[in-house]
Amino acid sequence: MNTVGAALAAAVGFAAVAAAAGMWLPLRARVPVAGACTAALGAAGLAAGVAALGGRTWSADLPDLLPLAGVHLAVDALSGVFMAVAGAVVLAVGVYGIGYAGGHDLSSRGVQAVLPGFALTLILVPAAASVSTFLALWELMALTSLALVVAEHRQRSAVREAGLWYAVMTHMGLVLLLVGLAWFAAGAGGESFPALRAGAAAMSPTARNSVFVLAGLGFASKAGMVPLHAWLPRAHPEAPSHVSALMSAAMVNLGVYGIIRLGLDLLGGGPRWWWWLVLATGAVSAVYGILQAAVATDLKRLLAYSTSENLGLVLVGVGAAGMFNAAGDRPLAALALAAALLHTVNHAAFKALLFCAAGSVLHATGLRDLDKLGGLRARMPVTAGLFAVAALGAVALPPGNGFTSEWLLLQALMHGLAVPGVSTAIVLPVAVAAIALSAGLAAAVFVKALGVGFFARPRSTQAAGAHESPPTMLAGMGLLALACAALALAPGALAPGLVRAGAAAGLSDVRPVSGEGLQLRLTQVSGSLWPLWIAGALAVMMAAVSGLTRGLSRRRRRTQARLWDCGGGAPTPRMAYTATSFAEPLQRVFDDVLAPEQDVDVTPVRESAYLVERVRFHSRVPDRIEHRLYRPVLNGLSNLGIAARRLATGSVHAYLGYGFCTLVTLLVVLAVMQ
Amino acid sequence: MSGAGAAAVVAQVVGVIAGAPLLAGLMRQVRARMEGRAGAGVGQPWRDLRKLLRKEPITAAGTGPAFRLAPLLLVDTTAVVAALVPLASTDTPVSDRADLIVVVAVLALGTVVLALAGLDTGTAFGGMGASREMTVAALVEPTILLSVFALSIPSGSTNLAAIVSGAVDDPARLASPAGLLAAAALAVAVLAETGRLPVDNPSTHLELTMIHEAMTLEYSGPDLALVELGAQMRLTVLLGLLVSLFAPWGIATTASWGALALALVLLAVKVTVLGAVLAAAEVFWAKVRLFRVPELLAGSFLLALLAVAASFFLNGK
Amino acid sequence: MSDSAYTQLLDLACGAFLLAAVVVLWRRDLATAVRVFALQGLALAAVAALLGAHEHRWDLLAVAAGIGVLRAWALPALMRRALAAGGEARESQPLVNVTASLLTAAALTLLAYAVSRPLVALNPTPATRALPVGLAVALIGFFILVTRRRALSQVVGFLLLDNGITAVAFLAASGVPLIVELGVSFDVLLAVLVLRILTTRMRAVFGHTDIDDLRELHD
Repeated sequence: MNTVGAALAAAVGFAAVAAAAGMWLPLRARVPVAGACTAALGAAGLAAGVAALGGRTWSADLPDLLPLAGVHLAVDALSGVFMAVAGAVVLAVGVYGIGYAGGHDLSSRGVQAVLPGFALTLILVPAAASVSTFLALWELMALTSLALVVAEHRQRSAVREAGLWYAVMTHMGLVLLLVGLAWFAAGAGGESFPALRAGAAAMSPTARNSVFVLAGLGFASKAGMVPLHAWLPRAHPEAPSHVSALMSAAMVNLGVYGIIRLGLDLLGGGPRWWWWLVLATGAVSAVYGILQAAVATDLKRLLAYSTSENLGLVLVGVGAAGMFNAAGDRPLAALALAAALLHTVNHAAFKALLFCAAGSVLHATGLRDLDKLGGLRARMPVTAGLFAVAALGAVALPPGNGFTSEWLLLQALMHGLAVPGVSTAIVLPVAVAAIALSAGLAAAVFVKALGVGFFARPRSTQAAGAHESPPTMLAGMGLLALACAALALAPGALAPGLVRAGAAAGLSDVRPVSGEGLQLRLTQVSGSLWPLWIAGALAVMMAAVSGLTRGLSRRRRRTQARLWDCGGGAPTPRMAYTATSFAEPLQRVFDDVLAPEQDVDVTPVRESAYLVERVRFHSRVPDRIEHRLYRPVLNGLSNLGIAARRLATGSVHAYLGYGFCTLVTLLVVLAVMQ
Repeated sequence: MSGAGAAAVVAQVVGVIAGAPLLAGLMRQVRARMEGRAGAGVGQPWRDLRKLLRKEPITAAGTGPAFRLAPLLLVDTTAVVAALVPLASTDTPVSDRADLIVVVAVLALGTVVLALAGLDTGTAFGGMGASREMTVAALVEPTILLSVFALSIPSGSTNLAAIVSGAVDDPARLASPAGLLAAAALAVAVLAETGRLPVDNPSTHLELTMIHEAMTLEYSGPDLALVELGAQMRLTVLLGLLVSLFAPWGIATTASWGALALALVLLAVKVTVLGAVLAAAEVFWAKVRLFRVPELLAGSFLLALLAVAASFFLNGK
Repeated sequence: MSDSAYTQLLDLACGAFLLAAVVVLWRRDLATAVRVFALQGLALAAVAALLGAHEHRWDLLAVAAGIGVLRAWALPALMRRALAAGGEARESQPLVNVTASLLTAAALTLLAYAVSRPLVALNPTPATRALPVGLAVALIGFFILVTRRRALSQVVGFLLLDNGITAVAFLAASGVPLIVELGVSFDVLLAVLVLRILTTRMRAVFGHTDIDDLRELHD
C-alpha cells in the first residue's frame, strides 16, 4: 500500500467521519467538525494526486463491494492531475464552508452529511478502473450534487426549477455514457479498463466511432459544452456558493477527464474527425460561453458561463492533442495535452476562488445582481482583493495564472502548422482566433465583474450595508489565492507531472515542456516563458517609475477633490455605469448571436390615453441555444406524450395485454431469428 | 557582451520614455502644419508634462487603489514592453524572454488596469470609457494574435528576437503576400490599441465621442502626467514594434557598441518617419462611429487570417 | 435412484405441472382453480425434490419442502379464505372464450419449445430437456392474468407465472441461491396479501370484483 493508496484510504475514512458528524452531532459542533473533516478529506485527495503526479501508481480490486461487478480502482498520473485538483478545491471549500454554512439552511444535517460524500466522489471518479465502478461513482456524484444544489429550495422557488433541469440533464448524460460504455465493454469483451484497452483494437470502426460519440456527448454535457450546457447557468447560481465552487472547479473537469481517458487512452487515439469535433465543440463553447457571460448581470451566472468558456479552451487543447496524435506528431500532441491540463488546474484555482468570493458577497449583501452591487471594495477589502487576484487569473494576462496555460496552448496551436494536412491549416487559425476572441471578451467580462461589482459606490442599501466575511471564509479563500499565486509564478514545478500525465494518456514519454528553475521551456519547439521574471520586471519598473515621479513632482501631500459633475451637482451612485450598460456595446456588436429581447410597457393615465402614467422597460438576453434547440425538442416530446395518452384507455386488461403482447412478440422474434 | 546588451535595454527604455513626448509633439506639429496652423512646437508635450508634474496631486473622492495605481501601471507596463521588444538590438539579456504573445498580453494588462480605474471613479463618463475601451480591446485581440501567428510561421517561433533577426537575414519574406497582409492587419490593430483615428480621436473634448480620454477625465496633476506619458509611450512602443517587425534594417544583431549606436539612430529616424506619415494620414481621416469600429476590426481580422493562410499555402506544406 | 427412473419421474412431475396450468385455464370454477393450483405446487415441490435427490443436495430438498409448504398449502389457504369471504364462486365470461384460450395455450407451448431450443442445446440433461414446460406455464399464467375479469383469477394467473419462472430456474440451474429464493417467495406472499386487500376493498366499494369497472379512473 503505497502513498496513493494510503491517502485514498485516509480520504474515505475522513469522508465517513465527516458524514457521521454531519448526521449525528448537534448544531454547534456539526458544522466545524464536518467542515474540518471535509478539509482533511481534500488534503488526503491532494496528497494522493500529487503522489500520482510524482510517478507512483496504485491499483486495487474489491470484488465484493459492488454486487455483480466488484470495484476496481487504479491511479496513474492522468488521474492524479484531476484528483489533486479536486482535493485542493475540496480542502479550500471545506474550510470556507465552515463559515458559509453558519446561519443558513446549510447547516442542516442533510447538507452537512452529503457534502463530504460529494467531495469523496470527486476524488474517486478519476481512480475508477472499470466501467461499472466508473458509472456507479459518476451516478453517486450526480445524486449527491443534486441534493446539494436544491439545498436552499425553501428560500427561493427558482432553486426547484434549477434542480429539475440539472437532474434531467445529468441523467441524460448518464444514459449516453451508459450506452456508450456498455457498447464498448461488450465489443471489447471485458469491462475493466485494461480489458477495454486491449480489446479496443479488435472492435469495428463503426463501433469505436459510436462509442466515442455517445460517451463523448455524455462527458461534454458534464463539462458544460454547447449545446448541452443549459444546466450550468441554472444550477450554479441557485446552488450554495461553496457547492458551486466544487461543481465548477472540480466536477466539470471530470467531463474532460472522461474524454481524455476514453479517447486517447482506452480507444487508443482515433481518426482525426473525432478530435476535430472535440476542438470545434470547445471553440464554439468558449466563444458562446463568454459572450453570454458578457451580457449576464447575475454574478454567479456570469461565473458559470465563464466556466463553460474555460472548459471550451481546455477541450480545444485536448482536440488539438488528439489531432496531432492522429497525424503522428507525438511531441506536439503531448504539448497540447499539457497545455489543456495546465489550464484545467489554473481554471480550478481561480474559478473556485471567484465562486467563494461571490459567496462572500452573497453572504454579506444577499444580492447576486451586479447592477445593484458596488462599493464593496471599501466595506469588504479582503474579499475584493481576493476577487481581484482571481479575476487576474481569469483574464489570462500576466502576472495571473491563466496566462501561462493560455500561452502554452497558443504555442501548441501555432506550431501545429508543421502537421501536414489542409484541414489542420484551416482549423488551427480559426482555433487561435476563437481563443483570442474569448480571451478578449473574458477581459471585458472580468473588468465588468470586478469594476461594477466592487468598485465605485454602492447602488443599493444592501450593498451599502455589507460587512467583511468571517475568518474561516477568508481562510478558505486565502488558500485558493495562494494556489493561484503559486501557479502564476512557478508553473514550471508542474511540468514534470503534466508530462507524466500525458504519458499516462497514451502519448508516450516525450517531454514537450520542462520546468527548469520555474521557467517553462518547450523542448521540441523553441519557446520559453518565465512568469516570475515578468512579474518581477513589472514590480521593479513600477517602483522605479513611482520613485521617479515622486522625485520630480514638487508637492507630496495628496488632497481629495470632488468628482467632475459638469457643474450640475454631485453625481449619485445610480449614475454610475451598471453591468447592463457596460455590456451594451458588446451586446450591440453581437446582436445577431445573442438576440436580446426588449419590452416597453406604456401605462397611460386612466382619464386620458395621451398622458403617460408609467413606462416600464424590460430587457433580457435569453440563452439563444435554449430557445432554438431545447424549446422545440421539449415541445415535441410533450406532443408525443399527449399523443401517447391514447394508449392509456383505462382498462387494466389493455395494460396487462401490452406487456404480454410485447413479451410474446419478442419471443417469436427470438425463435425466428435463430 | 552583456554590457552592450544591457545598455541596449536601458537605452530602449530611456529612449522610449524620453522620446515619446517628442514623437507626440512632432505628430501634432506635422498635423498642425498640414492644417495650416503654426503649431505649438515639438517640445510642447514635454512642457505640458513638466507643468503637470509640478501641480498638486489630487485624488477624486470615493475612488480607491485602482484609481491611484493605474497611471503607474500604465507607464510600468509600457516600459517593460519597451525593454522586451528588440527596438535597437536582438542580442540583449532579455531577448529570450521577449515573446510576442507576452508583449501583447502586457500591453493588454495596461488597458485593463486603466478600464478598472475608469470604473472606479463611479461616474458615467468613466464607465462609458471603460466599456467602450474593453469592447474595442476584445475585438482587436483576434487580429493581434492571428498576426502574431502569421509572423511566427516563417521563423518557427513567437520569440521576437528570432522573428526580427529572421527578417533581417531574409528580407524577402517581408515583401511576400503574407508579410504585407500581416503588416496591414497589425497597423489597424495598432491604431485601435493606441486610440488614434479612425478608432478614437485623441484630441477630442466632447465626452460622448471619447473612448480613451473618458476613462482619464478625473486625473489631474502628476497622475495626469503619467497617464499622458503612458499613452505617448504606448504609441511610441507600438510604432517601434511595427518598425522592428517590418523594417528591421539597422537593428543590431550583435552586441557591439557601434552597431547599437547606429541602431538607436536608425530607430529614431524610422519611428519619426512613421509617426509623421501617420499624422499626415490622420488629417484626411475622420473618426468612425463606435458601432462601425467592429466592421473595421473585422476587416483587419480578415487580413490577418489571409496572412496566415498565405503563409501556409505559399510556404507549401 | 437410477437414471431411467429419475427421468421418468421428472417427466411425470413436469407433465402434471403443465396439465395443472391447462386445467386452470379450462375450468371457470374458482374453487377448482385454487385446488388445481395447490396440486401444481405439489408438482413443483416434487420436481425440486427429485433434482435434490438425484444430485444428492440437501439444500435442494429443504427448498423443495419450503416450496411445498408455501405454494401447496399457504397460498391456496389464503385464496380459499378470500373465496369464502366473498360471494362469487364462478368466473364470469372471460375476455377470450375458453376454446380460443386453449388454442392460445397450445400456441404458447409451441413457442416455448421453439425459444428454449438453444438453451437446451447448451447442456442436454433430462432436467434441461424439461425446460420448455416451465416457460410454457409462465406464458400461460401471464395469459390468464391478461384475460380474466375476476381479481382472484388474476391472482391465480400471477402465481402460475411465478411457478413457471421458479420451475425454469430449477430445471436450468438446479435452483437459485437461497437468498434469492427466499426473496422471491416473500415477494410473492406479499403480492398475494396486497391483492387480497385490494379485492376486499373492491368488493366493499363495487359489490363485486370485476375489474372492468375500474375503467372510470382513467384520465
